[in-house]
Amino acid sequence: MNPNAYARLLDRYLRPQLKRMLWLALLLFTGIGLQLASPRVIRYFLDTTQSNGSRPALLWAAVLFIVFALAQQLLGLGSAYLSLLVGWDATNRLRYDLALHCLRLDLGFHKTHTPGELIERLDGDVTALANFFSQFVLRIAGNGLLVLGILALLFLEDVRIGLGLAAYIALTLAILAAVQRLAASRWAAARQASAGLYGYVEERLSGAEDLRAAGALPYALYRLLLLLRAELHEYRAAHTLSAAVFNFTNVLSVLGYAVGLGFGAYLYTRGEASIGAAYMIVAYVGMLASPLQALREQARDLQQTAASVERIQALFALRPLVVDPPAPTGRPLLPAGPLSVGLDGVTFRYDDGDAAAGGAFALENVACSIAPGRVLGVLGRTGSGKTTLTRLLFRLYDPTAGAIRLSGADLRAVPLAELRARVGMVTQDVQLFQATLCDNLTFFSPRPPGSQADMEAALQALGLWDWARSLPQGLDTPLGAGGQGLSAGEAQRLAFARVFLKDPGLVILDEASSRLDPASEARLERAVDQLLAGRTAIIIAHRLRTVQRADDILILEEGRVVEYGPRLALAADPASRFAHLLQTGLEVTLA
Amino acid sequence: MTPAAASSPSPAGRAALPTPYYNWRLVAFRPGLFVVHSVFAILFFVFQVLPGLIEKQVFDSITGAVPAQVNLWLLIALYVGVELARLLSAVGADWFGWTFRFATGAMLRRNAVASLLHWRGSRSGAGAPALAPGEIVNRLRDDVNETADFPTWFPDLIGQVGAAIIAVAIMASINLSLTLVIFLPLLGTLLVTGLTWDRMRAYSYASGQAADAATGFLGEVFGAAQAVKIANAEAGVAARFAHLNEARRQASARYQMLRALSDAINAATVTFGVGVLLLLARQAITAGTFTVGDFTLFIYYLGFTTHIPGYLGNFAGDYRAQAVSIERLAELVRPDPVTALVAHHPVYVEQAPPRPAPIVKTPADSLEVLEVDGLTYRYPGSERGLHGVSLRVRRGEFVVITGRIGSGKSTFVRVLLGLLRAQRGSVRWNGQLVTDPAEFFIPPRCAYTSQVPRLFSETLRENILLGLPEDLADLPGALRAAVLETDVARLERGLDTVVGPRGVRLSGGQAQRAAAARMFVREPELFVFDDLSSALDVDTEHQLWERLDRRRQAAGARGACLVVSHRRPALRRADRIVLLKDGRMEGIGRLDDLLAASAEMRALWHAGEAPDGRDRQAG
Repeated sequence: MNPNAYARLLDRYLRPQLKRMLWLALLLFTGIGLQLASPRVIRYFLDTTQSNGSRPALLWAAVLFIVFALAQQLLGLGSAYLSLLVGWDATNRLRYDLALHCLRLDLGFHKTHTPGELIERLDGDVTALANFFSQFVLRIAGNGLLVLGILALLFLEDVRIGLGLAAYIALTLAILAAVQRLAASRWAAARQASAGLYGYVEERLSGAEDLRAAGALPYALYRLLLLLRAELHEYRAAHTLSAAVFNFTNVLSVLGYAVGLGFGAYLYTRGEASIGAAYMIVAYVGMLASPLQALREQARDLQQTAASVERIQALFALRPLVVDPPAPTGRPLLPAGPLSVGLDGVTFRYDDGDAAAGGAFALENVACSIAPGRVLGVLGRTGSGKTTLTRLLFRLYDPTAGAIRLSGADLRAVPLAELRARVGMVTQDVQLFQATLCDNLTFFSPRPPGSQADMEAALQALGLWDWARSLPQGLDTPLGAGGQGLSAGEAQRLAFARVFLKDPGLVILDEASSRLDPASEARLERAVDQLLAGRTAIIIAHRLRTVQRADDILILEEGRVVEYGPRLALAADPASRFAHLLQTGLEVTLA
Repeated sequence: MTPAAASSPSPAGRAALPTPYYNWRLVAFRPGLFVVHSVFAILFFVFQVLPGLIEKQVFDSITGAVPAQVNLWLLIALYVGVELARLLSAVGADWFGWTFRFATGAMLRRNAVASLLHWRGSRSGAGAPALAPGEIVNRLRDDVNETADFPTWFPDLIGQVGAAIIAVAIMASINLSLTLVIFLPLLGTLLVTGLTWDRMRAYSYASGQAADAATGFLGEVFGAAQAVKIANAEAGVAARFAHLNEARRQASARYQMLRALSDAINAATVTFGVGVLLLLARQAITAGTFTVGDFTLFIYYLGFTTHIPGYLGNFAGDYRAQAVSIERLAELVRPDPVTALVAHHPVYVEQAPPRPAPIVKTPADSLEVLEVDGLTYRYPGSERGLHGVSLRVRRGEFVVITGRIGSGKSTFVRVLLGLLRAQRGSVRWNGQLVTDPAEFFIPPRCAYTSQVPRLFSETLRENILLGLPEDLADLPGALRAAVLETDVARLERGLDTVVGPRGVRLSGGQAQRAAAARMFVREPELFVFDDLSSALDVDTEHQLWERLDRRRQAAGARGACLVVSHRRPALRRADRIVLLKDGRMEGIGRLDDLLAASAEMRALWHAGEAPDGRDRQAG
């Protein structure tokens, strides 16, 4: 494990909380001082008692003891509070950074990681770091200081016991450091087993109906049992190894205490120490167990943390291939109003291993241009590259060769935020969140003033306003998980409303209406008219009727353009594929 | 439309699972492990009293307070021996304890997931918890961890309290009044602890809910990564996540601080006791009734006995928190009885679980006629739904259900298959009444593909077979029937291609056809398609129907199809069309009859016409 990784994390997430950290340090260190003082008070008490010392002095000793102890509790409470604040602030910031980072990673990343796995990595791993942030450095420093303090006080008492204990502490720490490395890999394996388990569960829960329909529930449970068993084995191994470390150091501390006890007794019987001093030696040696144990616990946490830090760093180390260019100074690159689109020899191959395209080109030398305000209809069989084309337009991927331009600007030069604000898309699979209707419409973006009216207008245009108003809390009504309770048609129209709100210069309709019945679809047509008015559009559909409104037609086959031209001209040319498709397509439809 | 007001489950509600019963069920699941763990744990704690006695002996013999009965070094050796024995007990307690808690944890997780899959896979409206998968994952992880090990706390409790009682008895036998003075204030702290219990529980529940909300949101967002990216919403989504985490921080910090405060009050009382001891011990020591050895023994024992109130407080707090976690877990098995959570289904720790037996079709499964009579379902709190729909599907038939959006097409299929519970009406299979359709309409009798089929992050082969033994299945045949064979041939790794989370590495049409192949490979008697064609182009859809037809013919005209569709190829092919409007049957019959008789049918048909008016001529 690279110590720099820790340092970077600490620097990034604790530096903003420097003041709190200083207070926390103050509280912890004062607490240590008080802890060190307590046995001395008892020693004074015992010696004074033995020598029949004065009563007020003893009274003071007792009062001092109580005050020290109560102060320790208060300090403990204060540092617990500060630790919580520091830990939560740091981990929440880390959660935020990680979430944002992962969301900005390429689509290829999301295609290879299940949401359940990402929850475990973003939340499970970060939660494991809470203690690391809030306590690690201070506890290491604090307990280290406590050990050194005890050692120093014992050196003052007797050099021999000081030396002996120094050797003992060094030995304990050396062994700890050695075994810690061993256990870290086991913890990494255990956490990975967990991520696998929860990734599996999350996905199966989402697909429960399909499992049931396929009669595969018993099989799904069988797989679950296998994963549970794997998790059990990994965790038991990790815990056992950690427990072995724990117990071994316990043996050491028992031996240390025995030596302390023997030595204290020996010194007293030889008259080299008072009974109070003898007790104090035993008490201090006994006290060593606690900071050493704390150091050990920190080491164990570090084992678990190391696994998490490693996985978090691995996530952070991923860089999107789609690089966001710096925002140009001055005017935005994309003009207001409808955008022109130019595809210039666009070739693309999925690079994410065994992707669907199987290493073949998903798009090959695709060229076309759409003037502002025109509508392009894209046709092609499933897998011909239509969906890939839309992904490239959003720059979810960059072309392997060639270029895409919007109003003359190469996509790679346009800041992603600007690009995606100016291009809108409705897909067949509408993603809804367990959040308010309003948040679902705006995708959680902060609401600018006047947006209420925009939303109303968008919903009205799609015939959803009456429905929205009838909800118990209007726009602020929470929708269920996965859009529970909404019909496919309502969900689809919400997706349209989203794009309305965005007011893009280019609209992509990807099989947008295929799930609607014809009657509802007809109602949506009006909305589409409105959406397309004054905008450039690309309509992608399997069905011919959907492309009626296209000015131009582009037909894709296995990633290549096999036909491209004005719709009416193509329809009128009996030799064209489009005309052929109109004919045979309909023949097939009506056969 | 029912907005999900159900997303805030209340602690009250149906019968809860009593915490003692819950723990008993966990113990009874692995009694052997539990007993062995308990013996070790109790020994470990009770042995705590011995080192104090040895230390007292050491100090008493060196100060000469009592005549030395045993050699000093022997005492020290004895101390080492006792501590080593304790360590061995700890090792035993650890190993058996971990195995126990993971085995019971696996049982809880298995039971929860089994119920969840069962109820989410069917009758999703019937009281199953409306939770996002991410929230459920959070509960399965944290709440199980919170509760599965709880039984192992009981021997700890017995050991600690036992050790404390022995220690207090020893102290009382040495000096009763001192012991009383030290321990009386502890009773007060017990009272304080008791007073905070309810609050502790409420805070703990709120804290869990807040964590649920954050992880649930995360799961949804990553399930919709592409939509988030193209909406340019990364920052907004992340900000929302941060907002949920802030709420979670506050809830959690409140709970943890209450615990810390309760601990601190306990500890302060302890300290007070020691201070009092210091004040009072002087006189006794000078009077000779209290030795230095006694003093060290008191201090030593105070070290662990005075932790008891704090420990009990923690225990009570955890016990309360456990009730919260149990409740949150019990919600997951809803609407199964809460006891389903702790049913003793086997989990496999050492050996591997057995593979489930393959499905075998019996003659009784083969379909002659399916009769649906007066099926009725109304969505809660609305007029929408299904009102008295009847139909009949005979062996070999192709029946289409059509209608506008909201006419109840999908609802009909869902009620028929038991995904929604019918409020009235009956379903008969070969004349036999089907009482539990959700259990009945599965392979080998029936297979179903929903509008948006789900694939899993596995190989394509695994996604289609889903556990079906490959040597018993006609996989190539199913691929062909689903028009997927050329797609598979083009994949670099063919059927061994990993299709990504929810199959996102396949195109929409490929995923839909993979789901169809999953259906075909099971060779059911009744195929139910809820708009399978929506992601398919004209050619592919046509091929699919043709090939399915041929496949059924080849199998001796077995099997029947029930298809939700508003598209012409399906309507034309239909032996019978059931036309729905506002949840009621508007008409039933062949296409031509319906077109002649029903304005609604004509409206649908003409709305679905193709460009350039060619369709009308052809029709």
